[in-house]
Amino acid sequence: MFPPQFIVASRIGSRLDVSSKKRLLEVLGELLAAGQPRLSPELVFERLLERERLGSTGLGHGVALPHARMKELGEAVGAFVQVQRPVDFDAVDDQPVDLAFALLVPEAATETHLQLLAQLAAMFSDAGLRERLRRAESADELFDLLNGWRATRADA
Amino acid sequence: MSSIDQLVLAGAALVLLAILASALSYRTGMPLLLVFLAVGMLAGEDGPGGIVFNDAGIAYTVGSVALAIILLDGGLNTRAETFRTGLKPAVVLATLGVLVTCAILGLFAAWILDLGLIEGLLVGAVVGSTDAAAVFALLHAKGLQLKERVAATLEIESGSNDPMAVFLTVAFLELLLAGHRVPGWEVLALFAQQMGMGLIAGVAGGYLLAWLTQSLSLERSMYPMLVLSGGLALYGLTTVLGGSGFLAIYLAGMVFRHRAPRDSHGILAVHNGFAWLAQIGMFLMLGLLATPSNVLADAPAALAIALVLIFVARPLAVGLCLLPFRFPWREQTFIAWVGLRGAVPIILALFPLLAGVPQAGLILDVAFFVVLISLTLQGWTIPYLARRLRLEVPPTPGPDERLELAPRPRDGEGILGYRLGARTPALGLRPAELRLPAGARPILVLRDGQVLPPESAGPLAAEDWLYLLAREADSARLSELLAAGAAPAYLDRRVFYGDFVLNGEAPLSALAAQYGQPVPAGMEQRTLAEFVCSRIEGPPVVGDRVRLGGLELVIRKVEGARISQVGLRFPDTPG
Repeated sequence: MFPPQFIVASRIGSRLDVSSKKRLLEVLGELLAAGQPRLSPELVFERLLERERLGSTGLGHGVALPHARMKELGEAVGAFVQVQRPVDFDAVDDQPVDLAFALLVPEAATETHLQLLAQLAAMFSDAGLRERLRRAESADELFDLLNGWRATRADA
Repeated sequence: MSSIDQLVLAGAALVLLAILASALSYRTGMPLLLVFLAVGMLAGEDGPGGIVFNDAGIAYTVGSVALAIILLDGGLNTRAETFRTGLKPAVVLATLGVLVTCAILGLFAAWILDLGLIEGLLVGAVVGSTDAAAVFALLHAKGLQLKERVAATLEIESGSNDPMAVFLTVAFLELLLAGHRVPGWEVLALFAQQMGMGLIAGVAGGYLLAWLTQSLSLERSMYPMLVLSGGLALYGLTTVLGGSGFLAIYLAGMVFRHRAPRDSHGILAVHNGFAWLAQIGMFLMLGLLATPSNVLADAPAALAIALVLIFVARPLAVGLCLLPFRFPWREQTFIAWVGLRGAVPIILALFPLLAGVPQAGLILDVAFFVVLISLTLQGWTIPYLARRLRLEVPPTPGPDERLELAPRPRDGEGILGYRLGARTPALGLRPAELRLPAGARPILVLRDGQVLPPESAGPLAAEDWLYLLAREADSARLSELLAAGAAPAYLDRRVFYGDFVLNGEAPLSALAAQYGQPVPAGMEQRTLAEFVCSRIEGPPVVGDRVRLGGLELVIRKVEGARISQVGLRFPDTPG
C-alpha cells in the first residue's frame, strides 16, 4: 500500500532515548536526510518544525506524524521512531508521544502527500497496531509491523 | 376507599404507566411526549380506560403550572454561551416569527373553517408557538448533539415564544369578546405591558432568587424547592399584575443560571426531574381531555391546517425572520422543520372555551389535531433529518458524575467521576502516568465494586470508574482523555474533524504553502481563523466547514468568539 522504498529498516529507530519534542524532530531529521545527498538534517528539522508551528502533528494516543514538502526530494520517504520514554508533543489529548512517523514528499506531489497522510493516520488509529509497535524490540520488528499492516476496518 | 384515594390511585397509576411506557420511546424512536399523550388518550373516554375528564378549568390550571415549571427548567438549562450565536435570531423568531405564522395560518383557517377574521387569527395564535417541552426534550436527548447555532436558536426560541402566543391569544380573544372585527392599536399597548412587565419581573426575580440561594443557610434539599416556589410565586405575581408570567419565569431561570449561586448543578438536576414530572402530568392530562371521536368530524380541515402550518406558514416565517442572519440552507431547513407544537396550543385553546366563545369546541379540536400531527410527523423524523442535513457534531465528552464540594473552594475544585469505556483514550495507562492539567489528581479507582487507591490500581481498564479532584474549568480537557466517547462511526472525532488539529492563529499562507494549495486573493496576510470566519455568515460555531483547495477545515473549538482550533481533513482521500 505504500510506495516501494518509502519505509526501510535503516530509517527506523527502536528504543531511542529522546528527551524532548525538539530532540525527537532532530532524530527524525537525521534519519530522513541519511542517504539523501541534497538534504541536510538541519534543513529537514527546520521544515518539520515549521509545520509544527501551525499546530502539533500529535494525533493523540501517543502518536505523532510530523511531515513536510521538500523541493530537494525525488520521491516520498518516511522514517519511524519508537522512544523509550514518552515526550511532550502538545498533542490534542495532552498525552506525551512515544511513536513518531515522519514523512517527506517532493514539492510537486501534492496529491500523494495528502493520500499518504490520510493512509498513515488511518494506520495509527488502529489500537492493536499501536500496542504491537510499543512492544516491538528492534527496528526489524518495527519494519515488519509497519509494512505488514493492512486495513482491517472498512474506514481505513 | 374514599374517592380521594381512588383519585390518587388512578393518577399515580397513570404516571407510573407513562414512565414505564417511556422505555418504548428509546426502543422505537417515538417522541416521548407522544408516548405520554397516547397513554392519556388510551386511559381517556374513547380508550379502554374510559375515564371521563372534561373539566377545562382544572386542565387549564394544571397545564399553566406545568408549563411554568417546564419554562423555569428551560431557563435554568440555557447556557449564557448560547447567546453569542442564538439570541438575536431566536428573539426575532419568537416575536415576528410567531406573528407571521399566526397571520398566515389565521387567514387560511378563517377561509377553510369559514370563520370570521378574528376567529381565524385566534386559531393561528393558539397554535402559533413552538413547544419548549418538546424542543428541550429533543435537544437534550441522549446522543444527539446539534451544531450550536441551530441548537441555541431553537432552544431560546422555544423557551421565549410562548409568551407571544399567549399574548396574541389573549389579545384576539378580548377583541372578539368586545365585538371588534379587525385588530386595532390597543393591541400594541397590551403587548408592551405584557412583555415589559414580564421582562422586568423575570430579570429582577432571577437576581433575587440567586441572591437568596447564595445568602440563606438552608438544608441542602431545600434549595431546589426555594427556586421552584420562588419561580412559581414570580409567575403568579406577574400574571396577577397583568404581565407575562411565562416570560418572567423563563427569564428568572436564565438569570439564576447565569448568576450560578451555590449548588447550582444539584438544583439543576432536581429541576430536570420536576420538568419531566410536569411534562408527564401535562400530556397525560391533555390526552385524557381529548375526545378523539369528536376530532374526527373536523379532521379534513384540521389536517389541512396542520399541513399548511408545517409546510407553508412555519417555513415562510423562518425564512423571513432568518433573512438578516443568513443561516446556511441546511440549518434553516432544520429550524423550519423543528416547529414542534406541544401542550401550549391545547392550553391556549382552553382560553376561548373558558371565555365562552361559540367556536371554542372547534378551535380545541383543531389545536389537538395540529399538535398530534406535528409531534408525530416532525417529532419522529427530527433525529433522521439532523443526520441527513449533517447538523450533528460529535458529542462533547463530559464527566459521568460530578460532586460539588459544599464549602466552595476558591478555584472551583470539585470531584469528577468517569466511567471508562472501550474507547477511552486513557485505557491501559496507570493513573500516575496520566498527563493531567495542573492541580488535577486522581483520588480513587472503583473496580468491580471495590475502591482502590490510584497508586495500587494498576493500568486503567474499561468499566473502571476513575474519580479525580479537579477544577471545573479543566473538565473539558479531562473529558477529552477520560470520557468513554461512545458515538456512531460517522461522528467519530477523527472522521468528523480530520486527523490534525491546527491553531486558529496560524497564518493561512503558511498552511497553504505546507500542503501546496492556492491562497485565495486578499487572504495572504490573514490567519486561519480570519479566513474561516470570512467564509461563513454570522458567528462561527463548532462543526462549520470551509474548503481550501483540496483541504477541508472544520472548526473544532471556539473560545468566546475566537476560533482556537481548526481540524484539518483530506476529504478527497479514501482515508
